[in-house]
Amino acid sequence: MRIFKLGLGALALSASLSALASDEWKLPIATHKLANGLTVVVSEDHSAPIVGVSVVYHVGMRLEPRNRTGFAHLFEHLMFQGTPVAPKGVFDKVITSGGGRNNGSTRADFTNYIETAPVSALESLLWLEADRMKTLDFNPETLKNQQDVVKEEIRVNVKNSPYGGFMWIDIGQKAFDKWENNHDGYGSFQDLENASLDDVRAFHRDYYGPNNAVLSITGDLTPAQGFALAEKYFGKIAARPTPKSTDYSEGLNTAERRFEQQDPLAQVPAAAVAWKMPARGSRDQAPMAVLGSLLAGGDASVLYQGLVKGRELALNVNELYGLTDPWTFDGPTLYVVYSLYKPTSNVDALLTAIDEEVAKIVKNGVDAATLKRVKTSLVAGYYNDMEMFLSRADRLAKLQTLWGDAKVANKIPGWIEGVTSEDVQRVARTYLTRENRTTIDRKPAPKPVPAAPAAAPAAAPAAAASK
Amino acid sequence: MNKHFRLTLLAAAVIASPLAFASASAQLPAELPPFAKDKALPVPQITKKTLNNGLEIWVVPRQGIPRLDYVLAVRGAGFSADAANQQGFATLLANVMTEGTAKRDSRAIAEAAQGLGGNVGASGANDGITVFADALASNAAPMMHLLAEVARTPAYPDREVALAKANALQNLKASEARPAFRATRALNQAIYGDHAYGRTQPTADAIDAVTPEALRQAHASRVRPERSLLVISGRIAPAEAIKLAEAAFGDWKASGPAPADAPAARDSAPAVRVLLERPNSVQSTLRLGRPGEAASAADQVPLRLASTVIGGGFSSRVNINLREEKGYTYGASAGAQSFRVGGAITGGADVRNDVTGASLKEFFSEYKRLGEELVGEEELAMHKRYVAGGYLISNQLQGAVARTLASNWLVGLPSDFLGNYVPLIQRVSAEQVREMGRKYFKPEAQSVVVVGDQKVLEQLKDFGEFTLAK
Repeated sequence: MRIFKLGLGALALSASLSALASDEWKLPIATHKLANGLTVVVSEDHSAPIVGVSVVYHVGMRLEPRNRTGFAHLFEHLMFQGTPVAPKGVFDKVITSGGGRNNGSTRADFTNYIETAPVSALESLLWLEADRMKTLDFNPETLKNQQDVVKEEIRVNVKNSPYGGFMWIDIGQKAFDKWENNHDGYGSFQDLENASLDDVRAFHRDYYGPNNAVLSITGDLTPAQGFALAEKYFGKIAARPTPKSTDYSEGLNTAERRFEQQDPLAQVPAAAVAWKMPARGSRDQAPMAVLGSLLAGGDASVLYQGLVKGRELALNVNELYGLTDPWTFDGPTLYVVYSLYKPTSNVDALLTAIDEEVAKIVKNGVDAATLKRVKTSLVAGYYNDMEMFLSRADRLAKLQTLWGDAKVANKIPGWIEGVTSEDVQRVARTYLTRENRTTIDRKPAPKPVPAAPAAAPAAAPAAAASK
Repeated sequence: MNKHFRLTLLAAAVIASPLAFASASAQLPAELPPFAKDKALPVPQITKKTLNNGLEIWVVPRQGIPRLDYVLAVRGAGFSADAANQQGFATLLANVMTEGTAKRDSRAIAEAAQGLGGNVGASGANDGITVFADALASNAAPMMHLLAEVARTPAYPDREVALAKANALQNLKASEARPAFRATRALNQAIYGDHAYGRTQPTADAIDAVTPEALRQAHASRVRPERSLLVISGRIAPAEAIKLAEAAFGDWKASGPAPADAPAARDSAPAVRVLLERPNSVQSTLRLGRPGEAASAADQVPLRLASTVIGGGFSSRVNINLREEKGYTYGASAGAQSFRVGGAITGGADVRNDVTGASLKEFFSEYKRLGEELVGEEELAMHKRYVAGGYLISNQLQGAVARTLASNWLVGLPSDFLGNYVPLIQRVSAEQVREMGRKYFKPEAQSVVVVGDQKVLEQLKDFGEFTLAK
């Protein structure tokens, strides 16, 4: 989009010709730590007159209180519900008026707050983020309101939805042993209803200080401008002690875990097959990313070709890395293959097929052409995920939070390129074992007898219904 | 696990509404810094060429990510060309394009795309089929070749068609389990009646009836150069892009007569009330709808702004009311969708059972207010800036620019609509928004579809007689 900077003229043309040969994409990444411990990351890009902002707090579902499942996520909602200075409504009103969009999400190891807007709104965004880092409007009405909203979120995504998120909620509950890793991060309604304003105050005090956060800005500004604005709006927020986290590490599983669930809403069976992954930062991490993509990354992947095509057992094959990606986690995380399978098939056939494909990789490795294709695609996809300024800012903030170094973003393509067939073999042999595997077979529950004709697919009657 | 589930490119805001709880408290804090001066809006610069066979080529060079995006839009090849008993045919017609060509089988196509660091695929929509591809910048030429190969010479191999049909039947079953899928089908029928726009979801019978020969024939008649536009965006000079496109598509020829253009969809419809039974459902999937207007018709711009106000984004009226004030739902939305020969006004939310009636009441109340009261100055300004911001945010993404240009073209909007859109929005008045409310959002004209447990019927009796259906 530099074409716009250059006044929409012919200069852009020559610039584009010189860039043609290279597929490399290095991001400018500047970091600076304020005296209060807030780490600031700026990635300059003047190709569009906008910014992406991400504030990542180093707390997620693992560290929520024991009798408060779902609290980290409920708390995330409350971060949008006003402060003593900017009451409920101001936050969204200002960002909307600034032409921006905002959102937040809660994951096992972090909680992020993201905005993107025309650069004219940048200072307003930073003011709003700093304001809610200081304190919140601890208000019973907004707490009740968001308890209701979160319950509707859980209904629409879990309780009223076929499969109900079993490929990330239930599978983690079954595969992990420690409470931090195996409780329901969406939370029980009872725990959500029991959440009190004191809980909210304590969580904000303990985990939402500047020293437990990273501020990342990508877009139409310079690092010097970004650092100065960070100092201006965040510099006076005092650091707050953060509780020492518990030890939630756990090793690979040593015995296979298999479960069957009945799903009253689903009409097509599904399976989630999960393995505990290499730890963040281990030498096995990049090979795991390559192996994951080799197995289930798109239509050329081994399992798509082997299960959807080939054996024709499944309708689709998807890969999940917890609720994040191969690079953005800290504690124990699962690589999950999630698939809807045909009623004429069964989970044993799926697992046998997966075992056969993994065994081939363990035995033979990956041929050079396939490995090159997978790596090319993985690197391209990695770039694609950072095209949007907002996604770039967010990734840099997360990497700074989890790895302590946002510049990891520029190292990952090289790590992928460096993966060898032997690396892939080793990782398949070590992690994708039967012992380390957890499987949930999710079957449509038998229909109650007096209901509609059991054999009739719902398609026809529903289609006829609406007139 | 998100604050909300939509990060839409077009949307809205409120606060100044009489119903908004926060209207009094939403005075801006004194210390909040003001917005800086807005920078000039960038306008996509498009280099155009039409080949001798009628194919239009538009190039939008960009200097960001090392990737090229190709979008080939084929007008009239989508659902609007499907016969009445061929519901969803265009989906299979598009999806199986990448499952084998004269030269390559399905696997070879997938592997080629992967090796180029990209993807190739096709999808069907109301007004056309879109074949899209992307690749690392250095692979511009081979990916253009692959795009042309799947678009021009799909083989629809018997075995692949059989597998696609078998999987489509299962996917249909899986979709039937989702209340939103059933609601959409019923709502589309209520809005469009017998028009092709009203039957875009497949049926089991329609899937069963598909044959490889029918797909091949439909491809030959529907996918034609003189009805196609190829948009190229990314790291490439226009001359180079046009050269690649000419090499790949220059000798493409149409065969036989083209399908007839779709007739206009209706602009009004009886307001129906349907409850689709879903025993033990813990939510009601509530949907409202009525006919709207075609994209190129006169109301398009004010209608889009009115949609932004009522239900286009997180800060829109229905979301602030039903979510942020009442806590009835995770998200509520409403607004217009416009296609080539017709459109729809739709709205909805998934709400817990005991507030089904209350939620419908709030939707109707907001709809009515939009047509009766002028939107306040501050609120309107906010929406306009939100639309402008959405344009800038979307414009940073080269693929989004290519896709928007292509979809605008499919629905009959000119190429400069994208660049003119924000200035046009800025000229819309509060009176025009109110007029759009009066014309399109009257509660009496809305059909209502609820998917849920029939116990909620009791709450709906004030809203007319609901037909109970499975």
